[in-house]
Amino acid sequence: MEYLPEMHLHNPATVEEAIRLHDAAPASRYLAGGSDLLVNIRRGIEQPDHLVYLNGIAEMHAITDGPDQISIGAAVTLRELAESVLLREHFAAVAQAAGEVAGPSHREYGTLGGNLCLDTRCVFYNQSEWWRAANNYCLKYRGDTCHVAPAGKKCFAAFSGDVAPALLLFDAEVELAGPDGRRRIALMDLYRNDGMDHLTLTSGELMVAVHVPKMPSAIPTGYAKSRVRGSIDFPLAGVAVRMGLQDQLIADLRIGLTGVSPLPFLVRGLETFIGRRPDDACLEEVRDVVRRQAKAMKTTLTPPHYRRRVAGALAQKLAESIF
Amino acid sequence: MNKISPIQSIGIPKPLVDGPEKATGKAMFAADFQATDATVGRILRSPVAHANIISIDTSQAEALPGVLAVVTEADCADGYGVLPIAMNEWALARHRVRYRGEPVAAVAAMDVATAQRALDLIDVVYEELPAYFTADEARAEGALDLHDDKPGNIEREVEFDLGDVDAGMAKADLVREVDFHCAEVCQAQMEPHAAFAEYDAARERLTIRPSTQVPFYVHKMLARTMGMSESHIRVIKPHIGGGFGCRTETLQSDLIAGLLARKARGTVKVVLSREETFITHRGRPESHIKMKVGMTKDGTITAVDFTAQQRGGAYSGYGIVTILYAGSLIYGIYDIVSARFQGYRVLTNTPPCGAFRGHGTVKTRFAFENLIDGMATELGLDPFAVRRANLLVAPTMTENDLLVNSYGLDQCLDWVEKASGWKQRKGKLGPNKGLGMACSHYISGASKPKHWTGEPHATIHLRVDWDASITLLTGAAEIGQGSSTVMAQCVAETLGVDMGRIRVIAADSALTPKDNGSYSSRVTFMVGNASIDAAQNLKALLIEAAARKLEIAPEDVECLGEVYRGGQQDQGLTFEEVVMEALKGEGTLAVKGIYDTIPESWGGRKYRGAAIGGTMAFSYAAQVVEVTVDPDTAEITVDKVWVAHDCGKALNPLAVEGQVQGSVWMGLGQAMSEETRFHDGLPLHANMLDYRVPTIVESPPIEVGIIEANDPHGPFGAKEAGEGSLTGFLPALTNAVADAMGVRATALPLTPDRLLELLEKKARDERVSANASGKVA
Repeated sequence: MEYLPEMHLHNPATVEEAIRLHDAAPASRYLAGGSDLLVNIRRGIEQPDHLVYLNGIAEMHAITDGPDQISIGAAVTLRELAESVLLREHFAAVAQAAGEVAGPSHREYGTLGGNLCLDTRCVFYNQSEWWRAANNYCLKYRGDTCHVAPAGKKCFAAFSGDVAPALLLFDAEVELAGPDGRRRIALMDLYRNDGMDHLTLTSGELMVAVHVPKMPSAIPTGYAKSRVRGSIDFPLAGVAVRMGLQDQLIADLRIGLTGVSPLPFLVRGLETFIGRRPDDACLEEVRDVVRRQAKAMKTTLTPPHYRRRVAGALAQKLAESIF
Repeated sequence: MNKISPIQSIGIPKPLVDGPEKATGKAMFAADFQATDATVGRILRSPVAHANIISIDTSQAEALPGVLAVVTEADCADGYGVLPIAMNEWALARHRVRYRGEPVAAVAAMDVATAQRALDLIDVVYEELPAYFTADEARAEGALDLHDDKPGNIEREVEFDLGDVDAGMAKADLVREVDFHCAEVCQAQMEPHAAFAEYDAARERLTIRPSTQVPFYVHKMLARTMGMSESHIRVIKPHIGGGFGCRTETLQSDLIAGLLARKARGTVKVVLSREETFITHRGRPESHIKMKVGMTKDGTITAVDFTAQQRGGAYSGYGIVTILYAGSLIYGIYDIVSARFQGYRVLTNTPPCGAFRGHGTVKTRFAFENLIDGMATELGLDPFAVRRANLLVAPTMTENDLLVNSYGLDQCLDWVEKASGWKQRKGKLGPNKGLGMACSHYISGASKPKHWTGEPHATIHLRVDWDASITLLTGAAEIGQGSSTVMAQCVAETLGVDMGRIRVIAADSALTPKDNGSYSSRVTFMVGNASIDAAQNLKALLIEAAARKLEIAPEDVECLGEVYRGGQQDQGLTFEEVVMEALKGEGTLAVKGIYDTIPESWGGRKYRGAAIGGTMAFSYAAQVVEVTVDPDTAEITVDKVWVAHDCGKALNPLAVEGQVQGSVWMGLGQAMSEETRFHDGLPLHANMLDYRVPTIVESPPIEVGIIEANDPHGPFGAKEAGEGSLTGFLPALTNAVADAMGVRATALPLTPDRLLELLEKKARDERVSANASGKVA
């Protein structure tokens, strides 16, 4: 690990104060758990002079059970998410995904907001300054070549947060606050398909909370991820599945993916499975649909072929097991 | 009446003597040392893989306020290297860089930010040369030589042809030949490399605390690199956060710390990042092994014919030894009557490889044990039966003249077969589950030292003063493996005293006798024997003193450890009283013990380099691995490992169990997930996320059986315990997966993507053959 440069740390008590502090300093970043940001600072990927620490903001720590929705503060830790009885009951996949992030110590300080706003990852990007300089940098940062796909002009760095695909199953919305006030957008609209610039946050904006509408009736959901090791690792492919049956037939099917492209997304074209019996042949077709859309690139040491296959396999296994 | 008897210290579980410091966080590692005047040392590394250095301009860096020293190769008096016959490395690259990340210059500055700014101001002009990242590329026709004296980029070609291999193959009922590929792996020890160097400018003396397994070699290479008298250098080994072989040679960071401290005329701390520690490397080389074995219907091995090509990296390091071990240690475990070997150690533009736990033997053994497992299946033989058909009978000399005086492999086999329920469970575990087994062995120290000086292999000093405490002075490097504890046990047992009397002072060149270091599993055997010798010499002095005081003949003195007496009726003398008597007219007692190997153990002369492999004793191990494979994701779960290790007398069964479990676990990482990967010579793996050391989640229960086939020359019969069990895991895993899934992996690590490819290929082949047979029908 490289050395940490000197920075100013600010400790605001309210969202508004945080935004003001961030706005006042030219090179500043919001800091929550820091498990992603501090590593990137040590590697010279981020070079802020000011860090605005969000964990002192009470509003961002609450999990609120409303009549129609559950609101989760962005500074709620991943351990709290994983252990929340409320979330387990209503949004099992979200709690499971939070419990699958990295290792126990990361989950102790990593936050929901941090996991949703995680920088995209690539073996050519998550390296030291010396390394990236020796490799003439890359499209995502200071360079003009993508080493994953040198012929193209697109960055394929993969979004690798575990929680986002699970929240996508439930039409979650995120509440953002910035110098121009607050706004609420669909979680899906927080992301764009560009590894260089995958978040639609505007300058100075931070995530305050996530609002998840309750489902009228309980539909089984689950999350599974592939990784080389059973702890620590980011997902090679992460799959969230929501599947409801009526009279033994599929009545509801959604699948969210992460780790295989610059953004988390819901698999398209699943409506053709509605009304079908979830037998082996049907779920193998589901698997194949997922495989086709999990277009992983060479952003990890594990080859793309495997990540596509395993995304499909995990979707199939989850669909078999969650109800 | 209380029966007085000597206190026993051997063969009972003992906590490590340096445990309390480590458990409480008080242990000082190299990076923990502080000094008010300490400056930060930082290294400029080559961004290119292979280039001539046209110029290095350090003037701007030197002019930067806060910079105390800048060093380059111009500050080095000489090159260095661990093998006297292959010293072709420099602390800072001289005229040419040969791998990305090779140190080129270094600075000492008041703080880390200034040091980094200074590095950024150093201007190096490179003239790039063609670079070779694989052994095949480096050996290709027309490739530029990395070193002028190594034509064709061959560090060493090894050949032997013992017995009649062709006749052996002709005699076999089954001959099989398979190619094996094993990735390069890195030790990934917990503590990144560090050195804390203090230069006394008035006296021109250097004191250094390096994170090393070999303080003596660091001492020698510092003197050589710095052009200093060896007598002006003091090397103190601090606590060490693991080594596993990567610190069995002097590292650039040790030398750079010394160079910077001298130039800054003060104190410098060099702490490498994890990435730099990976780049320093000295791990196990990527290897391509072609293994051919002949076997009769009853499982008897008739001949072995094999080749190995190792990608050694940019400098010689231990390379010659590694490729020699890869050949010679085909012997020493089974009764091999004929074997032919051709090995190539190749120089490439990648970080230099070194000696990794199980040095040289691991990949050869993987190939061999994997291949014979498949052959056993083909012949319808039980894998245990095949091993038993080829056992050695000790004492014996192998065909390549390795001494085998003790041999517990048969007992190891019996233990794991029974413990794992092999006979009852094999083939009955249900779908996607399997059992695999394999064997391995390792030396108890290389019998011929690298620096042949005529000195004994090990020397121990014991000092006893008026307070009746025993101070044990040893140069042996405690690196977490428990060497200081073993020495204390050996001395305590020999004298029959309480271990609490003994204080171990280890590895400070100003205080302790020289020791070659902690590598090749030499310490327990050699330093343990020297400890016993020293304790016996001390005991003789004490008996003489007791005899004087008791006014009896020395042979009539009964030594009961804490009491010396003339007979049962005699109240006797306490240890303190005996010591006081011994000090009369003598003053402080200082005795010595030494150990040397016997010429019969020095290996053979049948081919060039045949001494490598020679050892006083071999450890033996067998293990059974049980796996479950997820057929959809190809993820392998290791459910359980049973391992039996013959370490002769287990001096400290607690430490033995820990070493064996650690070895198996390290083998698990190499077998399943760990590998280095390069992008044009840049390490893609140089962090703990991409270099995939197993976490506790993947770590299976490991049940250890200790087998004690005592060696006649071992200290109390003891042999090696810290390396031999690593190797067997690799083939046992692939054999278990073959049992579970019907596919045999020949490339490591067996990651889920590699296994999925094998499973998909099998499914395709089955479809093709089903279609073909369908057509026939």
